[in-house]
Amino acid sequence: MHDGTHAATMDAHWGGGVSPFGATWQKTMMWIFIVTDALLFSGLLCGYAYLRMAGQLTWPATGKVFSLPFIALMTFILITSSMTMGTAVTAARLGDRKKAFVNLVFTIVGGAAFLGCQAFEWTHLIREGARLGSNPWGAPQFGACFFVLTGFHGSHVFSGLVILVVTAIRTSLGKTPAQGVEMAGLYWHFVDLVWVFIFTLFYLLPN
Amino acid sequence: MSDTTPQSPYRIYWVTWLILLVITIAMLAAEKFHMPRWFLVLFLLAFMTVKAAMIGGNFMHLRYEHRRIPIMVACGIVVTSLVLLAFLTPETWNVRGKTTAPPPAAAASVHEVHE
Repeated sequence: MHDGTHAATMDAHWGGGVSPFGATWQKTMMWIFIVTDALLFSGLLCGYAYLRMAGQLTWPATGKVFSLPFIALMTFILITSSMTMGTAVTAARLGDRKKAFVNLVFTIVGGAAFLGCQAFEWTHLIREGARLGSNPWGAPQFGACFFVLTGFHGSHVFSGLVILVVTAIRTSLGKTPAQGVEMAGLYWHFVDLVWVFIFTLFYLLPN
Repeated sequence: MSDTTPQSPYRIYWVTWLILLVITIAMLAAEKFHMPRWFLVLFLLAFMTVKAAMIGGNFMHLRYEHRRIPIMVACGIVVTSLVLLAFLTPETWNVRGKTTAPPPAAAASVHEVHE
């Protein structure tokens, strides 16, 4: 009797019948992954803050090193790609495969444009003398912070693009369920979210 | 007949995009208004938080999820970041204190000059 009750309780709570997050395991795991990935960027930004506060050297004003309107353009591109990604997710949920595919393609174009802008910015700064350990504007750690922060973010954009290309192809063939598009969307929005913090904390605040 | 017209399911993305765009322009333009530094920092941090909340809530659909997911995400990121900053900040002061004090050799030479 007791064993039977215990087994029933175990089955109800641990047998897959109860979903504590009210979401599928795929979505729950995606969120856990996003939290851990966000901590990577949190660590990098905290490290950047530490270097700025602990050092005695003058850090360059970002407005003199970067073209802030150009960085704002990059932000605009990423926000727009997030909007098209959201549209693709909803279209996939509503079963509108064509609309989902078209918006996925728009998102890919936006992501590629962002990466192109970043490549242009990196090339420009390297030509002006910025390196990981030195730069012509001020504290030598500035170069390392810039390349590591934007490099890590850029690598996330690149991997997001690969995921989106695969998702778009599979969507056009009718092989990706709506949840697959939603998972790709979550990752893409996360990339956008991280940029919001980098844009404010690295580009705007130290200006 | 119903008086309410059904809203497009995509409307929320356009509205969010427009608000994010306006906030980004406002953040960029804020520098031009020569406001006090503390106010500018507060302004930028506040709008950064609003942007993050809008992306998380509307684009990532956190506002429609079970409340345990936003709690897990917010606590996971914010609390861990605060713990990291709490450990780093005293270390920052420690390093600053050491680097601002004159090195022993320099201090000794100052004493010699006074004597």
